[in-house]
Amino acid sequence: MDQSPPSRRQFLAAVGNLASAGWITLNWPQIAAAAEHSGHGGHGAHDAAPTTLSTLSPAEAAEVDAIVNQIVPGGATPGAREARVLYFIDNALGSFFAAQLPAFRQGLAEFGRGYAARFGADKPFSAAPDAQQQLWLQQVEKTPFFTAVRRLTVLGLIALPKYGGNHDNLGWKLIGVEDNHYWEPPFGYYDKDYPGFEPYPGTKPYTA
Amino acid sequence: MPSKTYKASETVDFVIVGSGASGGIMARELARAGNSVVVMEQGPRMAAHEFEHDELKYRQLSGITNNPATNPQTFRSDASKKAERVSGRNPLTYARVVGGSSAHFNANFWRLHEIDFIEGSRWGPIAGANLVDWPITYAELEPYYTKVEWEVGVSGLAGASPFDPWRSKPYPMPPLPVKSSGVLFERGARKLGLHPFPAPLAINSTFYKDRPPCIQCGLCGGFACEVMAKSSSVWTVIPEAEATGRCEVRSESYVFRIGMNKAGRATGVYYYDSDRKEQFQNARAVVVCANGAETPKLLLNSATSGFEQGLANSSGVVGRNLMFNKGGGAMARFEHPLNEYKGANVTRIMHDFYDSDPKRGFYGGGGFDARSGGPLTWGQRVPEGTPTWGPKYKEYLESYTYWMNCSGHGTSLPQETNRVDIDPELKDAWGVPAIRVTYKDHPDDVKHAKWQVERAVEIMDAAGAVQIDPSEVGEASGGVHLLGTCRMGNDPATSVIDKYHRTHDVKNLFLCDGSSMVTSGRGQPTQTIEALAFRAADHIAKFARANEI
Repeated sequence: MDQSPPSRRQFLAAVGNLASAGWITLNWPQIAAAAEHSGHGGHGAHDAAPTTLSTLSPAEAAEVDAIVNQIVPGGATPGAREARVLYFIDNALGSFFAAQLPAFRQGLAEFGRGYAARFGADKPFSAAPDAQQQLWLQQVEKTPFFTAVRRLTVLGLIALPKYGGNHDNLGWKLIGVEDNHYWEPPFGYYDKDYPGFEPYPGTKPYTA
Repeated sequence: MPSKTYKASETVDFVIVGSGASGGIMARELARAGNSVVVMEQGPRMAAHEFEHDELKYRQLSGITNNPATNPQTFRSDASKKAERVSGRNPLTYARVVGGSSAHFNANFWRLHEIDFIEGSRWGPIAGANLVDWPITYAELEPYYTKVEWEVGVSGLAGASPFDPWRSKPYPMPPLPVKSSGVLFERGARKLGLHPFPAPLAINSTFYKDRPPCIQCGLCGGFACEVMAKSSSVWTVIPEAEATGRCEVRSESYVFRIGMNKAGRATGVYYYDSDRKEQFQNARAVVVCANGAETPKLLLNSATSGFEQGLANSSGVVGRNLMFNKGGGAMARFEHPLNEYKGANVTRIMHDFYDSDPKRGFYGGGGFDARSGGPLTWGQRVPEGTPTWGPKYKEYLESYTYWMNCSGHGTSLPQETNRVDIDPELKDAWGVPAIRVTYKDHPDDVKHAKWQVERAVEIMDAAGAVQIDPSEVGEASGGVHLLGTCRMGNDPATSVIDKYHRTHDVKNLFLCDGSSMVTSGRGQPTQTIEALAFRAADHIAKFARANEI
């Protein structure tokens, strides 16, 4: 009989909330396998990510997206722009980091004015070629505004996709993190062939 | 079976403030001894499935910790300065949820060693410090360490470390499987003639007490365990306390003052309920297990006629001698992936340098562990010489799975000037006067932390690291191990509680949590806090039976 895979909540309830140890022991392989294949056991399987901008204006968003794209650029592998970090920043400044929005806006405006003055530009930073963008960022990389954008970029790249960034798990793929709810050893290269703990002379390790 | 509930107007035997590592144990033990018990918890009660693998929420946004927006604190490095609010998380951070900080701890369970209890007499006076002996010894606490390991659930390998203190029983569960950081740490330390060993952790490695083994999800520190493999109070002793039919855990109940009568006895606690309405719970006795920050805050905010300096504060010691656990370490990169985001955070530790050694020229001792860090936190900073943005920064991000931490955890000397008191202006979202923190590292704490950095670099180098990033040892700006602020002692002039955790000044007021600790230990204080709670509960239950509260 076909059974629908358990939701994350059902998985967790089964292993933690409802069942006796005996029940879990008997059913563990099925629970684990079902969770693995369902995809519900992963980090952020629920809660839809925002897909529209609701805080920043289109002009502000274009500038922020250009900065983000220089912080973690695309190329051979996707970067922060492809991971939709902009959507994370827009979401964050409209919700849990809303208190920072006025300072962020002020910083962005100063960033733009400074850029225009430095390069005599009549077009925004986002319209400049890469080399010119990088030159300007080198000059402002110590400012509180750039530091804030950088922090938000890292958060947006790696936080759960439900917050708007890390689209299609691109941030996790970039850093080499697989999306799974649980793991079994071996975990990495160096614990594959661990021979076991060797007691020291004079000690007698013992177990219950 | 629904748990027992009491009316606030009923006089229960005990009201316990705090549901964390000590409060949960206190509740279970006092309820099992036949007492009626109400546990007050500031935060909400969350079911296992409500905890998520959300590093942003739990490690950046105060998901279950005291939130600076609603529970603000101020900080200053010395009393000559005006304390200010700081950006980011609060200086003193703890979990505000049923289970307290035992819900989100890393679960490193280290016993103190015999030396920890007698360092005052071993070292004598240290300039600027207030280092004294405990009024109890390791031998008095040993049965309760064992009780923690078996009643709460700890995995580990007894007798593996030549530096372990003696013990009466092994751990009830074998250690968790080693991860790559543990293997490399062990490799490097053994090459140097040191003695790393499997980490004791309050995490199930087998089915134990109807809770499953760790699923190796990799998110321990800062997170609550949604499969209940981590031995947090909310999954262990609190359900057992409720199962007695004599204990109610009242969540979202923020105690802000202890009630007192003219005879100088505690009558119960004033608290704000979930609707922020003021209530009063009557009790024969009050046990405060609110942590090393909130316990002194509550006593100081309970000042009343006859107790103008705050409750139980005739010594003036309440809030003083605040200690964290200063330490230093290194991050190291290896040739192949370790995948430290998988598996319990720590799998190997080392206690070769536990004792303070006079030859070093300063006081201080500690332990080391191999541990992982979440990627969100890791990605914020870069090693010296690595750009913070651009293609080279991207390359650094791509190396995440090749890194590990070798962390030193050490002593902080008690100093009277390091303290928790009440900010003269700031109040929290409930209108309760807020915590002011005054803290400056003792020079020996800084020297020891720098010494630990050097050892960590040596171990990682011996392990074959291709890049090592030594940690910076800066001035302390806060901590999560909140210790020493209501220290125990035999002399009422220099301590707040006696060796049975009864306050010297108020017969039916007891305190038990990190604030009770006389010295800091070497990091990982929770097992000691829990052992103290089992021991204190034994004595408090006897006092109750003998009508001596």
